[in-house]
Amino acid sequence: MAASNYLKRKHRRHKKKARPRFKEIELNVMPFVDVFSLLTTFLLMAAVFVAIGIIEVQIPFLTSEKPDSTPQRVLDLKVDMEKDKVTVVTSYTLPPTNEVKKEYKLNPADLEEMHLYLVGVKRKNLEVDRVSFFTDIDVKWGDMAKVLDVIKLRKYNDPIFVPKGKENDALAVAEATAYLYPKVVFSSVMLN
Amino acid sequence: MAAANTGEGTEITLNIMPMLDIFSILIVFLLMSYSTDPVSYDINAGLELPDSNSMQALDEIPTIAITKTEILINDKKIVKIVNGDVPSDDMKQGASYAVFAELEKIAEVQKRIRRRLNYLDPKEKGDILTIEIDKNHEFKIMKRVMLAAQQAEFITFKMMIARLKR
Repeated sequence: MAASNYLKRKHRRHKKKARPRFKEIELNVMPFVDVFSLLTTFLLMAAVFVAIGIIEVQIPFLTSEKPDSTPQRVLDLKVDMEKDKVTVVTSYTLPPTNEVKKEYKLNPADLEEMHLYLVGVKRKNLEVDRVSFFTDIDVKWGDMAKVLDVIKLRKYNDPIFVPKGKENDALAVAEATAYLYPKVVFSSVMLN
Repeated sequence: MAAANTGEGTEITLNIMPMLDIFSILIVFLLMSYSTDPVSYDINAGLELPDSNSMQALDEIPTIAITKTEILINDKKIVKIVNGDVPSDDMKQGASYAVFAELEKIAEVQKRIRRRLNYLDPKEKGDILTIEIDKNHEFKIMKRVMLAAQQAEFITFKMMIARLKR
């Protein structure tokens, strides 16, 4: 009896071996799903869908410092914004002032033209890094931000204007790469 | 394919491959849009920021938030906004007095900290404030806040914007 059982088992084992060797292999994807779901949850919780940035502006301040005893003739750049138009005024601080006024509407084409004009002004006056920004009280911040972009930021196809003598100053080069006019002063804050 | 035996001899299988596909696409999208900015900040409810091409990232939590209805300083309600402006009883010399009083306290604390750390620079002119303001607000209210800030010796402002992807 025992011998016959042994033979049967052996036969069965032998039979198994004789089966074709192609087996269906299944990949256990459950750990993958677990990792993916955890990662998705974490990323959805941590995601910030609006990239927040800043535009730096200044306002004039009162100082007790003595003014420059020998005033120099430099270009003064002013931007005057109204609800539907922007005026760029360039004039020199000492006579002859050679004042030039240019008006632009608040549409993309005109703002692009204004940017090109400001690039031209910068090309001729590398030392100018400050713009006095005047605006009416009824102008919306959303519109002001558009104009500030045009004044302050250097576009990728604009030349890089590094101030004379600062070509080897890494900070000055970085600033010139990012900005056309780095300092924008909200001068109308002080006006009544 | 995931399978489960019901114990009655039948095997139920769930095709999870489409789910995996969705997960992978979602992860790629989330990783692509994952923000690496130094500060992660949720914009105040009911406030819309203007779009800008500025590449400068937000580097500190805003001190002043000017929402559609009120002015908050460090999440504390300071003034209610009435018709897009601060109420006339809060105004002094064209500035919001309540904003000035609160900012003066902040400026004093900052000065005290600097003094303790021996970090007082006599050449330094004014402090910096980060402002979050709704894009539909007019310059009128911005001016009230900026004037108040100037009187509390803040002269540089980091105006928050929504960065456009280049």
